[in-house]
Amino acid sequence: MIGDERTFINLVNEHQGLIHKVCNMYESDREGRNDLFQEIVLQLWRSFPSFRGESKITTWMYRIALNTAISGYRKKTRKVKTEDLNEVHLNISEPYGNEETEEHLQQLRTAIRQLSDIERAMVMMALEEIPYEEIAETIGITQNNVRVRMNRIREKLRKQMTAWRWKSTI
Amino acid sequence: MEIDDLKVLWKKESERFTPKDKAELESMLKRRSTSIVSRLKRSVWFELIFTIAGGVALLLYAITLPAGPLGAISVSVVVLFCVYSLYYFKKLQLLNEFDPANDNLLATLNRLIDSMKSYLKLYKRSYAVLYPFYFFLGLFFTALDYGTEAFISRISRPEIIVALILFAAAFFACSTWLTGGCLKKLYGNHLEKLESLLNKLRTTHDS
Repeated sequence: MIGDERTFINLVNEHQGLIHKVCNMYESDREGRNDLFQEIVLQLWRSFPSFRGESKITTWMYRIALNTAISGYRKKTRKVKTEDLNEVHLNISEPYGNEETEEHLQQLRTAIRQLSDIERAMVMMALEEIPYEEIAETIGITQNNVRVRMNRIREKLRKQMTAWRWKSTI
Repeated sequence: MEIDDLKVLWKKESERFTPKDKAELESMLKRRSTSIVSRLKRSVWFELIFTIAGGVALLLYAITLPAGPLGAISVSVVVLFCVYSLYYFKKLQLLNEFDPANDNLLATLNRLIDSMKSYLKLYKRSYAVLYPFYFFLGLFFTALDYGTEAFISRISRPEIIVALILFAAAFFACSTWLTGGCLKKLYGNHLEKLESLLNKLRTTHDS
C-alpha cells in the first residue's frame, strides 16, 4: 500500500500540470482551483487500483479529472474575496512578461470560458495535441462527432479572437 | 487566428502554474472528498449511526419499563428506528453503485444521473410512506392515552372524522411539498446541470 502510494504520488507529481490545466479551465478563483485540485487527486487515488495500463496514463488522468470537474463536483458558492477580484473579474493571474502575449492569453482564457463545459474539455485536449481517437474515448462519442464539434469550436474561437484583435487595433 | 496559434499560446499558459510538492500531494490523500456522492454518503452514515445508537439506547430503556403505554410507545419507536436503519442501508447501497470516474464522460453522466434519480425517488417514496405511518402512530398513542373505548367513541363522531381527514391531507400535502422543496434545493440544480450536459452530449452524439 505504501509502495502504491509512493508510485501514485510520483505519478501525480510528474503529471500535475495536467490537473492544474483542468482546474484553471473550470474554476476561476484560487480557492475553487485548490478545492478542485484536491478532489481530482482524491478521485485519481480511488481509481488508481483499477488502472491496468490499457490506456495511456495521461488519457486515464484526463478522463478522471474531467469527469470530476464536469459531473462529480459541486461548486461551492463563495463570496468573492478582495484578493481574488483580479482573477475573477479581470481574469488576471501573474503576468507572463510580454504585454502582447499576456493580452492574447487573456483573450484565449476568456474565449474558452465562454464555451460549454464539454466544449472546454474538448478544446483543452485538442490544444494539448491529444489525438481525436483519445478525445472520443474520453468523452464517449465517435471520432467523427469530435471532428464536427471541433470545427464548430474552432470557428467560435476564431471569431471571438479575431473580433478582439480587430477591436484592439482601433 | 488558427488553432496552431492557440496551441502556442496554450503552451505558454501551461508553463505558469505553481507546482505542488510531494508532501502536499500526500496530505491531499488524507483529506475528505467533496464530491456530491461522498457528501451524500457521509450524511447517510451519520443518520444511520445516530439512528442505531438512539435505537439501542431506547431499547435498553424500554426493557427496564413495566408493561404500559410508555413501554409500548418506546417499543414502537424502536421498531420505527429499525425501519429507518433499513432505509438508510438501501440509500447507501444506491450511492455505492456509483463508481467515481473510470468510465468516459457520457457513461459517467448517465450513471450519475440514474443514481441520483433513484436516490431522490427513494427519498420521496420513503417519506410518502412514513407520513401516514406517523399519522397512525399518533392515533395509536392517543388511543393509549384515552383508553381504547373512550378513543373509539370519540373518533367515530362525524366531525372528528372530517377533521382528522382534513388534518391528514394537509399534513401529507405540506410535508411532501416541504420534502420536494428541500430536495430540489439540495440536489435539484446539480441534477438539472447534469441533465443539460447529457443533452448537449447526446446532441453532439447524434449530429
